Amino acid sequence: MPWMNRATADRVKFEFKDVEVEFTKHTTNLHVKQERLIDLMKHLKEKEGYRHFIDHTCIDFPDTKERFQGIYILYNPDTNERVIVKTWAKEGKLPSLEKLWACARWAEREAYDMFGIVYEGHENLRRMFMWEGYPYHPLRKDFPLEGIPEVELPSLTELYAGRTDPPSHDFELVHTRVPTLEDLERTEKARLQKKAQLVLNWGPLHPGTHGTIWFLFDLDGEKVVQSDVILGQLHRGMEKIAENIYYFQFLPYTDRMDYISAICNELSYATAVEKLLGVEVPEKARYIRTMFAELQRINSHLLWLGTGALDLGALTVFLYAFREREKIMDIIEGNAGFRLTSAFLRIGGVHYDLAEGTLDVIKAFIKDFPNRLKEYHNLLTRNRIWLRRTKDIGVITREDVFNYGLTGPVARGSGVPYDIRKLEPYAAYDEVEFDIPVGEVGDVYDRYLVRMEEMVQSLRIIEQCVAKLEKLPKSAPYVNKEHPAVMSPKEYVFMDLEDMVKNFRIVVHGENAPPGEVYSSGENPRGELGFYIYSTGGSKPYRLRIRSGALYNLSIFPKLIQNGTIADAIALLGSLDPVVGETDR
Amino acid sequence: MAMLNSNGFVLTTVDELLSWGRRNALWPLTIGLACCAIEMMHAAASRFDLDRLGVIFRASPRQADLLIVAGTVVNKVAPMLKLLWEQMPDPKWCITMGGCASAGGPFPTYSTLQGMDRIIPVDVYIPGCPPHPQGLLYGILQLQKKIKEKGVKKYDKAFEEFKKDMEKQGLIAREITV
Repeated sequence: MPWMNRATADRVKFEFKDVEVEFTKHTTNLHVKQERLIDLMKHLKEKEGYRHFIDHTCIDFPDTKERFQGIYILYNPDTNERVIVKTWAKEGKLPSLEKLWACARWAEREAYDMFGIVYEGHENLRRMFMWEGYPYHPLRKDFPLEGIPEVELPSLTELYAGRTDPPSHDFELVHTRVPTLEDLERTEKARLQKKAQLVLNWGPLHPGTHGTIWFLFDLDGEKVVQSDVILGQLHRGMEKIAENIYYFQFLPYTDRMDYISAICNELSYATAVEKLLGVEVPEKARYIRTMFAELQRINSHLLWLGTGALDLGALTVFLYAFREREKIMDIIEGNAGFRLTSAFLRIGGVHYDLAEGTLDVIKAFIKDFPNRLKEYHNLLTRNRIWLRRTKDIGVITREDVFNYGLTGPVARGSGVPYDIRKLEPYAAYDEVEFDIPVGEVGDVYDRYLVRMEEMVQSLRIIEQCVAKLEKLPKSAPYVNKEHPAVMSPKEYVFMDLEDMVKNFRIVVHGENAPPGEVYSSGENPRGELGFYIYSTGGSKPYRLRIRSGALYNLSIFPKLIQNGTIADAIALLGSLDPVVGETDR
Repeated sequence: MAMLNSNGFVLTTVDELLSWGRRNALWPLTIGLACCAIEMMHAAASRFDLDRLGVIFRASPRQADLLIVAGTVVNKVAPMLKLLWEQMPDPKWCITMGGCASAGGPFPTYSTLQGMDRIIPVDVYIPGCPPHPQGLLYGILQLQKKIKEKGVKKYDKAFEEFKKDMEKQGLIAREITV
């Protein structure tokens, strides 16, 4: 995807004299003073067409005077261009953009939680992931990864067996701070001021919430007057981990973010890092990646179909969908050696060559799967109950897609053909043919149909990949091992001294990336998963920001459910399909 | 130990009968925390079919007697899980599924609880990231074995003994507040 062109940048420069334009290798950055930020953003949104809010985050530079730099990524759907706007916080304060883009509210909450930046004009600036009363801001550079141990929390297993010296197993007695139930109650109270009859908690440990999302509904009878979402029940500190380990070491962590579509996550991450390091990927690896990413997409959509239908009372679909999921899992396990969190990709290629017989199994799957899809359609598409539960529920307009930064099937369900695979092709997506299905109304039913059609398109892509891979010789390289930052496959490491030394060097010293910044994203089953890497050289990223599609897709939930009923919340949440591992990271 | 005598009667103890009933109808609480929950769903769905073992997921802690902690437990969720555990009626058991729930796993970070056994006594630890559904099945079978061998009273007894021991040594047993 191209970045803001020079003509537009000159126009902006003409309007705003103090804006500095910087063209880096991978991005276009506009530097603006904090006072002029809102004016510039308004200009970009209304005059230049940068309507789609992609992401907002901050970087901590403890040695500079202002310390925090705010970063905004915007997208222009007309010209297909992105831009990064940067501004320095003044005395730890930034203006809030929630009047311009509604989803900025959530991004700002997150930045407040992680960096302690105060947003002036924010309607309710609360902690996004941690609880009220948590005293630290974890993503600041002076906060250690492992936290500050302060509570004595012994292992009960050892306590019951009688404490021994030395201890029966290895653990630290002093643990980081754990909230009390009062803390959580305070968190809940801070979020929602009761206006109607009753505040109902939905989640965090409710099977219908697809993980551990905590919803608050202010109810008048069955009608939802207002609602809010409390996240952070799976906040594991991914971005902090990424800052502390080498690039290749973070790859398995991406599996555990959106754990339903592990290979798609890896693909997005590997693409971003390859861009930064300047790694070319061999043709065979690109096709293997594409094929497995699409298998994973089908896998992910099947889980959405199964659980979404289960939430609305259709148990059969769940069992049917899991039957097909097992088949895909077997294919992935046969190649990667792992079912769910597969860590199959490597920077510069894939870990293994295709296992023997993989293509035959996939061909059998392609042949069988359309009939299975027909089964699902028979069960749901014209089902009267399904129609009444999903038609005209949770309608998302096109303006809201841009306003809330929606991506993926949720955006496409509302008729916005935003698909990174077409707009900024990565892997082999520019060499295969497929269509982007879009909805008309933008309700739950449309999103259902879009996802069902996406599975068909994924099948098409897989079919083309199989045809291509069959033609490629078996000896074709599946990893670009010539590049100094790419690890060689195992078979070479054991046979070749040079490869072994190289791997040894990478494992000990890391990849040694050049300084620079990269924003690269991939089309995940849950929307755009972007990685913003800010590197100051060295083998660890200075800041790695994960732009989660699920988080932004979920941000529209409070608006959609307003004046709806509780029963709609379940259908609606199923159609937005968030995964907590990705929203909370 | 049940015995079949020549008249067709089964002779057993009440304890054994109860333990037999309990271990063959372990009803876990429906809780998914992270990645392991997907494998737990797979274990319950078409291919692996946990129902065969009498394992039927219940949505309310009042009806459950097994807590399968499937996924990363972060500090924020820990008191909620503790509350759920306390809401479950005795006798109850806890299985930690996967590395995160057992010992923090790959997340030694500021926000992750380093092992479920810090707040809840754990009976069976299943390693893996995430464990295969077979792993979960094996863990449940291990728990059944444990119930068969050890009965259900071990916690109270062990804890009382431990408390007495502490007092004998002149130490004060501290309440663990989470």
